[in-house]
Amino acid sequence: MTDLERVVTPGARLRTLITAEVSHNEQPADEWAYQRSLRPSRVLGDLWRARQIVRTITERNLRVRYKQSVLGFAWALLTPVGLLIVLTFVFGRVAGVDTGGIPYPLFAYIGLLPWAFFAAALNTGGSSIVSDKALLNKSQFPREVFPLSAVAVAGVDAGMALVPLVILFLVEQQAPAVTTALAIVPLLVLIAFTTGMTLALASIIVYLRDVRVVLPLLLQIGLFATPVAYGLELFPGWARLAYCFLNPVAPVIDSFRRTVLLGQAPQWDYLGAGAVTAAVVLVGGYALFKRLEGGMADVA
Amino acid sequence: MSRSQAALPGSVSATHIWKRYRPDSRRSVVQETLSAIRRRQRRRARWVLRDVELEVQPGEAVALIGLNGSGKSTLLKVLAGVTHPNAGQLDIGGRIGALIEVRSGIHPDLSGRENALFYGTVLGLSRRQVMDRFDDIVDFAELSGAIDRQVKFYSSGMQMRLGFSIAAFLEPDILLVDEALAVGDVGFQQRCLERMKDVLNQGTTLIFVSHDMAAVEAMCQRTVWLDDGVIRSDGPTADTLGRYRVGLEEKAALLARLLDDPVRMTQLSATSIDEALPETGRPLLLGLTLASEMSGPVDLCVGVSEGPATPIFTLTRSVDLRVGENDLRCTIENLPLPKGRYYVWLGAFGPGGSTQMPWHPAAPLDVEGPPRHPPPRGVMQLSPVHVTARWDARGSESTSFQREPTDGTAAALLSPR
Ligand SMILES: Nc1ncnc2c1ncn2[C@@H]1O[C@H](COP(=O)(O)OP(=O)(O)OP(=O)(O)O)[C@@H](O)[C@H]1O
Ligand SMILES: [Mg+2]
Repeated sequence: MTDLERVVTPGARLRTLITAEVSHNEQPADEWAYQRSLRPSRVLGDLWRARQIVRTITERNLRVRYKQSVLGFAWALLTPVGLLIVLTFVFGRVAGVDTGGIPYPLFAYIGLLPWAFFAAALNTGGSSIVSDKALLNKSQFPREVFPLSAVAVAGVDAGMALVPLVILFLVEQQAPAVTTALAIVPLLVLIAFTTGMTLALASIIVYLRDVRVVLPLLLQIGLFATPVAYGLELFPGWARLAYCFLNPVAPVIDSFRRTVLLGQAPQWDYLGAGAVTAAVVLVGGYALFKRLEGGMADVA
Repeated sequence: MSRSQAALPGSVSATHIWKRYRPDSRRSVVQETLSAIRRRQRRRARWVLRDVELEVQPGEAVALIGLNGSGKSTLLKVLAGVTHPNAGQLDIGGRIGALIEVRSGIHPDLSGRENALFYGTVLGLSRRQVMDRFDDIVDFAELSGAIDRQVKFYSSGMQMRLGFSIAAFLEPDILLVDEALAVGDVGFQQRCLERMKDVLNQGTTLIFVSHDMAAVEAMCQRTVWLDDGVIRSDGPTADTLGRYRVGLEEKAALLARLLDDPVRMTQLSATSIDEALPETGRPLLLGLTLASEMSGPVDLCVGVSEGPATPIFTLTRSVDLRVGENDLRCTIENLPLPKGRYYVWLGAFGPGGSTQMPWHPAAPLDVEGPPRHPPPRGVMQLSPVHVTARWDARGSESTSFQREPTDGTAAALLSPR
C-alpha cells in the first residue's frame, strides 16, 4: 500500500470499491415528463374546492395574531389612526393640502384605508408561503390559499378600520354621500389589484428572499407616491391618466373620495385605466404564481 | 405524465417517478440563471428518485426502508402531492393523511384543540366531522389536560402525539407515516402501532417509513427498499429486510476489511459438528484465525446479529495474543437461532478499553432449521430466539389435554425498544 492510499479515508475507499455505483446521467424518457394542467377552469375549480381551507387559514391567522396581545383587535385600528394623526399634522396643518372643502382628517382617512389594506396584504401575503412552509408538506391543496388568506386578513382589518371612519363622520357632523353605493366599483378594482400583486409577490419571494427585506421600504415610498395624504389633482393634468395606469391605487382612492365624500361619480377614465392594470396584474400574477407553484415546497 | 384522481379509494399507483431538486438550494434562482448563461449549461442535479414504481392496493401496508438520504421522504412527498416529480405518472385514490415531518402543520401559537380543527379542515373534513372524532384524538394522545394549551408549550413528544393522533383519527384513505415514532415514549410507540393496525383493519392503506426494523416487521407484510433513489427490492417484508440487512452488513464488512488495525481476522469458519451446515438447536463450531501485530491480553468479543451492530447475543473471552497468526475455536452448545441469515460480529479490546479490532461484521452465518413463527401484527419482535415448546390445549368437548408436540420456534415477545 502506498502512502497516498493510506491517507484516503476508509469511507472514500469504500465508495470506489462499490462497483454498483449508478450513473446519474440517465434521464427519464421525454414522454414521461410530468405536466400539471394549468387550464383556467381546472385551476379555478381546484381553488373553489379549497375555499374552506382559505377560510380556515384566515381564521387561524387572525387568531394567532391576537393570541398573546393585550390590545387584541384594537391593533387593526392603531396603524391607520396613528398614521392619520401624523398626516393630519404634517399635510393638513403644515403643508396645507387642498382638499376641495372636505375636512382633512376625513379626506386623509379615506385615502389611508385602501392603502393600509393594500400594504398589509402585500406585507403578510408576500411572505405567506415562506412563513407557512410547515403546511406545504402537510397536504395537497392549491398554494394560493396562503396569499389569498393574507388578503382576506387584510380585508378584515380594513373592515375594523371602518370604525374610526364612522367616528370621524360623527365628529365632523357629516354623512356619507348617496353616491357611496358606487364605491363598490373602485373597491373591486382595489381587491383585484391587491390580490394580483400579492400572488406575484408571494411566488417571487419564495425564490428571491431579498425582496422581503426591501418590501417595507418600497411600501413606505409608495405611501407618499400615492395620493393618500394629498389629492390626485396634485399631478399635472397630462400625467394623471398615465399615472393611473401605473398605480391603480391612485384612481381607487380618488374614486372613494368622490363617491363617499363629494357625492360625485368616479372619474371613469382614470378608474378605467386603473382597472385595466389591475386586471392585467391579477391574471398575470395568478399565472406567474401557478407557474412557480410546483417548486415551492422544495425551496421554501 | 400527470396526476389523476380516477383511482379506487386507497390505491396508489406511481409509475416512472423521477425527481430531482434544484442543484443548490443555497443559491438563488437569479445566481443560478446567471451562471447558467455564463457557462452556457445548467449544472446537473442529482436524481433523488430514479424511475420508481410503486403499486399499492387499497388496505395494504407497505414499509419503505433505506439509508439516510435515499429518497424515502421525497417519495412520500411526491405521493402526498406536496411536491411534484420531474417525470412520471401518479394515480392516487382518495384522501391522503400525511405525517411527513413530525411537527409539520402544527401551529405553535394555537392550542391543541384549534390545531386539530385546523388540520381536519385542511384535510378536507367539515368542522362537524372533526368534532365527532375530537374526543378520540384527545384520548389517544393522552393530552386531556393540555388540549387547550398552546402547542408551543408542549414537549416534543406531546407535539408528536398530537400530530400522530390527528393524522390517524381523521380517517384518510391513505396514511403516510414518516419516522413518526422516533420521539414517542415506549408506551406510546406501542399504541401507535396498535392504532395503525386498527386503521389498517378499517381498510386504510398505510405507507410507513421507518429505520426501526422491528416496527416494520410488526406492521407491514410488504417492504420496499429504496437505495439511492432506486428500488432495490420490493416484496414480502422478511425477504426485503433480509436483503437490506445483508446489504448493510456487507457494506460494514467491506469497510472493516479496509481498516489497518493491530488485530485482524483472516479466516472464520462456522459449522455444525462433522462440517455440517449450522443448524438450530445443534452445536455451532466457530473457527477463527486472527492476525495480530501486537502481543498481550485482549478481550475477544463474538456476537451474532440479524440487524446491523445490535447482536442477538455476545460471547466474551479474554485471550493472550501472540504476534502473527492465532487460531481460536469456540463451541456454542445449542444454537438458539431459528432458520435465517445472520452475521457473525467480532471485536477485540485491550485492557483499559483500547480498540485493537473494532466491532465489525466478519462473515455471514446461514442457519438451517425449523421456520420461525412471526409475531402477531402490531407486535414488535426484537431478535429471534429459538425456543422449544410443547403445547397443551384443552378443547371444550374433550376433557383431557390434547398433547400437540411441536418443535416450532416460538417468537420471543419482548417489549418494544
Ligand atoms: N428540498 C430539498 N432541496 C434539495 N435537496 C433535497 C431537498 N430535500 C431532500 N433533498 C435531498 O434529497 C435526498 C433524499 O432526501 P430524503 O429526505 O428523501 O431522504 P430520506 O430517505 O428521507 O432520508 P432519512 O432516512 O434521513 O429521512 C437527499 O440527498 C437530500 O439531501
Ligand atoms: Mg426522511
